[in-house]
Amino acid sequence: MASPATSDTGIKPVGARNRGSDRRSSWWLRLLVAVIALVFSAPVLFLLLEIANVSEGIGQIVGSSEWVVPLLNSLGLAGAVTLASMVIGGGLAILISRTDLPGQRVWRLLLALPLVIPSFVGATALIAATGPGSLLPFVPRLEGFVGSLVVLTLFTYPYVLLPALATISSTPTSAEEAARLLGRSGFQTGVRVLLPQLLPAIAAGGLLVFLYVLSDFGAVALLRFDTLTRVIYSSRLLDPALALTLGVLLAALALLISVAMRRVRVPSEPPVSRANQRYRYRLGKLMPVGFLVAALPVAAGLVLPVIIFLTWVLRGSSTIGVAYSGWGDDMGFLVGPMLGSTAASVAAALAAVVITVPVAFAVVRRSERLYRFAADVVTSLFALPGLVIALALVAWAVGAPGPLGALYQTFPLLILGYVLHFGAQALGSGQAAFRAVPQRFDEAAATLGAGQRRRFFVIDLPLVAPGLLTAGGLVLLSTLKELPLTLMLAPTGFKTLATAIWGAATDGFYAEVGIASLTLILLSGVLTWFLVLRGRLGRV
Amino acid sequence: MLSGVSKSFAATVAVRDVTLRAPAGSQTVLLGPSGCGKTTLLRIIAGLEHEDAGVVSIDGERLSCDGRGLPPEKRRVGMVFQDWGLFPHMTVERNVAFGLSREQIADGAVERTLDMMRMTKLASRRPHELSAGQAQRVALARALAPRPRLLLFDEPFSSLDAELRVRVRTEVAQLMRELAMTAVYVTHDQEEAFVLGDEIAVMASGRIVQQGAPERIYLEPASAWVAGMLGEANLIPGDAVGDVANTCCGQVPLLRARSGDCQVLARPEHLAISAGDQATVTAVEFYGHDTVYRVTTADDEPVVLVRAGAAPSHQVGDRVSLAYTGPATVCFDAPH
Repeated sequence: MASPATSDTGIKPVGARNRGSDRRSSWWLRLLVAVIALVFSAPVLFLLLEIANVSEGIGQIVGSSEWVVPLLNSLGLAGAVTLASMVIGGGLAILISRTDLPGQRVWRLLLALPLVIPSFVGATALIAATGPGSLLPFVPRLEGFVGSLVVLTLFTYPYVLLPALATISSTPTSAEEAARLLGRSGFQTGVRVLLPQLLPAIAAGGLLVFLYVLSDFGAVALLRFDTLTRVIYSSRLLDPALALTLGVLLAALALLISVAMRRVRVPSEPPVSRANQRYRYRLGKLMPVGFLVAALPVAAGLVLPVIIFLTWVLRGSSTIGVAYSGWGDDMGFLVGPMLGSTAASVAAALAAVVITVPVAFAVVRRSERLYRFAADVVTSLFALPGLVIALALVAWAVGAPGPLGALYQTFPLLILGYVLHFGAQALGSGQAAFRAVPQRFDEAAATLGAGQRRRFFVIDLPLVAPGLLTAGGLVLLSTLKELPLTLMLAPTGFKTLATAIWGAATDGFYAEVGIASLTLILLSGVLTWFLVLRGRLGRV
Repeated sequence: MLSGVSKSFAATVAVRDVTLRAPAGSQTVLLGPSGCGKTTLLRIIAGLEHEDAGVVSIDGERLSCDGRGLPPEKRRVGMVFQDWGLFPHMTVERNVAFGLSREQIADGAVERTLDMMRMTKLASRRPHELSAGQAQRVALARALAPRPRLLLFDEPFSSLDAELRVRVRTEVAQLMRELAMTAVYVTHDQEEAFVLGDEIAVMASGRIVQQGAPERIYLEPASAWVAGMLGEANLIPGDAVGDVANTCCGQVPLLRARSGDCQVLARPEHLAISAGDQATVTAVEFYGHDTVYRVTTADDEPVVLVRAGAAPSHQVGDRVSLAYTGPATVCFDAPH
């Protein structure tokens, strides 16, 4: 019988992955994407240009040690919070999904919820809740390094918890069951079999936390800990050379982290099989401890702040506030910031989606170096702290000639700031949406006589619409919670909920802090539920 | 229709210098193992892939030359995809109407097509509400509706289960012949190629190694490799003398005279088995409509397959004799 050699000419078979990579793109798509990439690289370019302008001042700063302490503070705090978040987030993930602790679904939801409280809002509450004469007089007043560590860990551990939970629920228990049958104790199995499988997810979440802490401004400012962001903000008017130098330093650090994040890749989740989720570690006598461990973050990161805000609202100004005259004022006070937040976040969401759609389309559908480069630029800007982006835009607008200079402290510049900062979120969701639409549909439409424009509007756009809605929602959520960029770029008199809380907290108008914070938490909670948590928690 | 077409991806050559003619109204099948470049060739015809060199033309009209030419949407070439590629956000009716002009829709082309495919009842369904067989028919209807000059099928039945596949491909073959549609199919399944094709082009490593009517290439394959691609093939060592060859199965008539050592092609159904002492039965496989015996003449000789149209009449271990009963056949050079 003939058993033919399949390849006598030494030609390798061509795999399916090559298919569809052969589409040509038009010059206008290239131009459009190139312009978008240029706009997104603007902040870094502006910063470098400004540095050149004030180069004499820089020499002095580098020579002095003014930059060393804020840098060490930032790095130390970010490192400590990251470690704490990884331990707490990873531990909680195992506790609430692999042990016999009752109420797992409830814990999953509750423990993810501190995510909805912006760290500066949480900090306001926790500062007031601690120290002599407060709700918790036995706890020393939170401030400085320790205070920042506690507060930031409480509001960032969900960044580790969520990916760890996702990985756990897609990891079959068979390896752990085998380890037990091979004679390992429950503890040994958890440490030597389960933990290694979770490490990539925990590490990826940890890097996210590191980046968050580096960029955080509100919480450290309220807790009076001099990190890079706090020093940049306080010196930006009096000592611009120092602010710029530290800004560049912070930018470089953040971009470095974002490079590291690309290395750590969480493996994509295989479909969850319920049948495989059988094995549970038994807590036994440790059950009450497990319960306490799970309840503590919820109590400190969610219940306590809400109680504090509620008390402030109910007490009104009778004991603390200065200018307060009852409920009517409260509501009146809310109107401006609510409108501001709505306008800013809706405009930012729309603009970010519209601006990133061409890049998302191009990078998924046309594999060209230019498009991948543009996507990388947009993505890396997510790592750049809002404060640094604002610093760059302000420096540019103030120095820009004529009509461009008039953009300083206008609504369009504020929206541009948001788009630059959060465009990566829109791009990520947009790319995922386009990737979920098989190339097949585009090809089928082409063979049926549909031109490029019709294919985009009739096939692609309706199919990616839900993904783009998510993209917009994520930008909306981020904009709602954003503080430093808004503080620096907002037009005079323009207030968002975040800046209103900030202003009221620094001025001691606690009733107003309370009502605005509760509103912000509620809004962000609803959005977070629909955009982030529902899909992740619903199926387990 | 295609001449001198080449295409490579990075360092791998997918299609090299292929010339393929598909006469108007005929059914041509590109048959080959996976990775031989047949799908790439199909996509070049559709304009979904650009050839590095060569010409694609229909009825003398040049569609593209050396990678420059009409985009897919201007070619009036239809395609039925392996996974059908039905637009998930559109009903069956809108899927079918997608490739039609306003006038054609107003003229009732959608209804006519649905009616022809007996799918009027499915018109308002969405693709996810269809069975695999129905989805296949919708994909075909959608591709047929705009009356393309040429219809391409990329492994169109591979997503169907075995029973459905047999039924659907018979339907499609009939329909295409009724409509006198010019069609090119891609498949790796020789049975499918025989049912669908007026003409089969066998591809290997980016080249067309043989093209011709199914019977002809089955009985007169150009090489041992093609013989194996088209079905089970015994290559029996023999000694050619003029237009016969002497083999262990007796004298075998040859199509072309030659002399010396060679390998004679003997399809399993062209061998007869009877009690004797030439060879030993090593396995018996009963398929219902026929029986296949695996027979070996000596330990180091290759196994010979024999297909007999009856229930097993020999058992494993039986001593048997073989005889060639088929038509004049071809032989290839003996391996070195």
